[in-house]
Amino acid sequence: MESEHLLELVDIEAGYGRAALVLRGLTVRVPPATIVCLVGPNGAGKSTVLKVASGMLVPRSGRVVVQGKDVAGDGPQQMLRHGLAHVLQGHSVFPEMTVAENIKLGGFTVGDKAVLNERIERVKTVFPIVAERWNDLAGLLSGGQQKQVEFARSLMISPKVVLLDEPSMGLDPKTTATVFEQVVRMRDHGTAVLLVEQNARRALETADVGCVLDLGRVHISGPARELLEDPELSRLYLGGRPAA
Amino acid sequence: MSSALLLQSLILGILLGGLYALLAAGLTLYFGVMRVVMIAHSAFLILAGYLAWFFTVTTGWDPLISLVITVPVFFGLGVAVQRLLMTRLKPASLTMMSVLLTFAIALVIEGMLGFTFTGVQRRIKLDYGAASIELFGAQVAVVKLVAFGLAVLALGALWLVLKKTSFGQALRATIQHKEAAELVGVDTAKVASYGFGLGLATAAVGGTALALDATIYPSLHWHWIGPLFAIIVVGGLGSIPGAAIAAMLLGITQSLLQVPLGTTWAQTVFYLALFVTLIVRPQGFFGGRLAQRF
Ligand SMILES: Nc1ncnc2c1ncn2[C@@H]1O[C@H](COP(=O)(O)OP(=O)(O)OP(=O)(O)O)[C@@H](O)[C@H]1O
Ligand SMILES: [Mg+2]
Repeated sequence: MESEHLLELVDIEAGYGRAALVLRGLTVRVPPATIVCLVGPNGAGKSTVLKVASGMLVPRSGRVVVQGKDVAGDGPQQMLRHGLAHVLQGHSVFPEMTVAENIKLGGFTVGDKAVLNERIERVKTVFPIVAERWNDLAGLLSGGQQKQVEFARSLMISPKVVLLDEPSMGLDPKTTATVFEQVVRMRDHGTAVLLVEQNARRALETADVGCVLDLGRVHISGPARELLEDPELSRLYLGGRPAA
Repeated sequence: MSSALLLQSLILGILLGGLYALLAAGLTLYFGVMRVVMIAHSAFLILAGYLAWFFTVTTGWDPLISLVITVPVFFGLGVAVQRLLMTRLKPASLTMMSVLLTFAIALVIEGMLGFTFTGVQRRIKLDYGAASIELFGAQVAVVKLVAFGLAVLALGALWLVLKKTSFGQALRATIQHKEAAELVGVDTAKVASYGFGLGLATAAVGGTALALDATIYPSLHWHWIGPLFAIIVVGGLGSIPGAAIAAMLLGITQSLLQVPLGTTWAQTVFYLALFVTLIVRPQGFFGGRLAQRF
């Protein structure tokens, strides 16, 4: 089976408990070395898409395909093994553990000590804050610093696809730039990124592909540049006309 | 109060506090990992006490040897209780319903103890039962020292498991952020059942330590559950270090108050501390960022 995509969500229907469906026939495809950005209003179901992809939420129907293999129904542990890493919206460090313990837990499923140490060194160089605050409790870091630890932690499995839920929320412009730089660098190394961003304009400027989510479906999708230039879209979802 | 008496009370308070810390550790662990309020914890303590007594009566050996059997059995029992019973509760109402479920478990244990061993009060007969040694000029019963030593060892072992093993890392991660733990590959369902087993394993040690120096009877657990819950609320629900600090402070206070007030009134210190905590600082005093607010 040819698999030109790393991750495909096809005709996904998903929701919480007995409540109405949140996703109603959603399809998103993430090719290798591509940043795909999901935008949409609050409550559109963006985080829900990522939860389906990482196995936290099992879809009612539809296919979750990783490298050509349908893995719908797999839980978070299996999805991790398939190479999917998910950075949650909001804060998700282990606050009463040190930064070191947090990062090492990112490699919880990595058996090989040497590989683990190598990856630790790598995330320390990419995120200097991780090295600087190595022995501090993660809960004592500032919000933006915690976000960087979470991001670093997710890289410990050397993921094929990273699912990022509003990574720039609460970050200063410089740190946001670091995170986006890192996203671009990962893409350049072949990792795919499925990105959800509050700052839609900024995200679309970085992304290769954009998808606009509304009413549980992908409303419009296309090259991110084109979405940015679409005046109708700008008015509805990006808060006004482009600055240019 | 003379200074000699004060010193004696202080030493006894520390020994008592150490024991309380062990008895409460499991209780706060269940809550931390699963948000379960485990009313039956003290019933399991008394069960362990009975098993230690029965072991000594039938074999003539020291009750501490019974731990070789009861600790693994209680661990397995905890895993089974969690898998077979706790997982049936709906997540949304888990905390509330766990009170009812574990209340029922406590009644079952009490009933079985009464049925098997009758309601007669029992006490373990020890060669060193009446012995005491002098410690900083105070007379301290050897059994109290043994119970304290057992508590220190068990809490030390618990600390090592939580801090140094990969299971401990997974368990603490689950307490601190369940979803994030799942996303780094922790099997939180497995952690929950082993965590429950670990909690009951501490009950095996705690109950044995308790029975060294106490007369036991089937309904004794009702006497313990209030103080133990007071300790974990004061310490911050879900925090083991918090529970240990609260246990020590309350144990010492209780011991110091026993001289002027007598044992019955000294006991009220737990409920006073509980009320004050709920009014002033409902998340507890020593739980850090994790402590749950009631
Ligand atoms: N755990 C949950 N239980 C029940 N309903 C939920 C849960 N999480 C989300 N929902 C519902 O699903 C819908 C979509 O939520 P989701 O978090 O996916 O939106 P979102 O697009 O990420 O929004 P935001 O931009 O605010 O983060 C919302 O109506 C929300 O109320
Ligand atoms: Mg969201």
